[in-house]
Amino acid sequence: MHALRSQIALTVVAFVLGLLVVAQLQSQQTAPALAGVSSQDLTILVANLNTRNDQLRTEIATLDRELGDLRADRSRGETSLDQLRDDLLDVRAFAGQEPVAGPGVSVTVAGPIGAPAVAELINELRNAGAEAMAIEGVRIVPGSVVAGAPGGLSLESTPLSDPFEIRAIGSPEALTGSLTRIGGIVAQLGAAEELATVTVTPVERMVVPASERNLLPRYGKPSL
Amino acid sequence: MTAIGTRLRAIPSWQITLGVALLALGFLIAAQLSTEGPRIRYTTQERPPLVETVLELQRQQEGLKERILALREEIQQTSQASRGSAALVRQLNDDLAEARLAAGLVALVGPGLVLQLEDSSATPPPDGIEADLRVTARDIRTLVEELWLAGAEAIAVNGERLTATSAIVDIGGSVLVNQAYLAPPYQLSAIGPADLYERLSASQGYTDWIVARVQLAGIGAAFGEFEQVEMPAFAGTLGLDYARVEPSAGTP
Repeated sequence: MHALRSQIALTVVAFVLGLLVVAQLQSQQTAPALAGVSSQDLTILVANLNTRNDQLRTEIATLDRELGDLRADRSRGETSLDQLRDDLLDVRAFAGQEPVAGPGVSVTVAGPIGAPAVAELINELRNAGAEAMAIEGVRIVPGSVVAGAPGGLSLESTPLSDPFEIRAIGSPEALTGSLTRIGGIVAQLGAAEELATVTVTPVERMVVPASERNLLPRYGKPSL
Repeated sequence: MTAIGTRLRAIPSWQITLGVALLALGFLIAAQLSTEGPRIRYTTQERPPLVETVLELQRQQEGLKERILALREEIQQTSQASRGSAALVRQLNDDLAEARLAAGLVALVGPGLVLQLEDSSATPPPDGIEADLRVTARDIRTLVEELWLAGAEAIAVNGERLTATSAIVDIGGSVLVNQAYLAPPYQLSAIGPADLYERLSASQGYTDWIVARVQLAGIGAAFGEFEQVEMPAFAGTLGLDYARVEPSAGTP
């Protein structure tokens, strides 16, 4: 009788124990990278992802149209040279191989400033949607890094004078707003780089030159 | 003494087994409740739906990026297969292929290295800031710059190819590159000359970073040199809404 009771009791306990172990393991597994992100940051993340996904959808629509046109041309036995030329110019402009013009901001930096601070400015301009940038007439391409000590900065062997100018093409409002907002990069630099003055001026039209660098990969090969 | 011994023996063995099992049960219930505590709090902040939304949007983004790469590939194929004024078309196509290579729109494979960064597992000192123990956008930017200076010709962070317009920013505790959310560990892949790592490790900026972030803060950093580093293509938009090619400057 005792043996039966103990068996029933143990079965029940083992069952409950099993359930709990599984529940425990599951609750520990749901701790991915997002676990440390606050609700507020998640909301910003959602907004960012939405914006980016919309951009990607627009790009897909453009590419779809392009492909459709190409196929139509092909079936008629024609080739749209204009389409090809437009594509070529767009890609070259994006890569930094063509001079581009448009509205944007002119950022003037006066006084000694550290290279990391200039990198932060460039990063902030990129984040705010800058489409093409140049520092003192040198086009910013992927590998462009401002180096050197404050007062002796250079970009790709071009020394930066004092003051020097960063040009960024994009929405003047968005670029100015992002840089000069409360707690933004200009305010941060004002606190961290006391000797430097950063001035942001919206510009209606400016020209950003092409890069003089050879941007073709030398070590990497296209992978098929 | 013998009385206690007799009493001990008198307890049936199933009671002892049950007792041990109940003790374990107690521990587990306690552990379960303590892990559920914060999750219940998040529920009241509507956190899980947000996390779901983020994950869903990221899934969508992956699909969109794949579609863009596939479309670009198809456009190139179709364009190259076109006949017509053959010589001019071929020239334009060759130029376009070269421009795409320069722009980072083509996946590459080549010699290089991969750096992997992980958040510090150390507990923050009472007067320290917990965020210092995480890999930040600034850490990634510093290493990316050091890699460029060391001679890298192409860099990607967790599969996001860096272009002239790529920002690397923090949003709370996470890092966004090309507006894409990246989860740790962070892998920086770089293609470059055979002595890329030697040049990197000889740089003052890199050694300063290692001392400050790896030795002091405990950030996990590992690297590997490879003959064949795979470099993904940039899968975003060219995004030229304001910039127009300047015709007066002429095209080379």
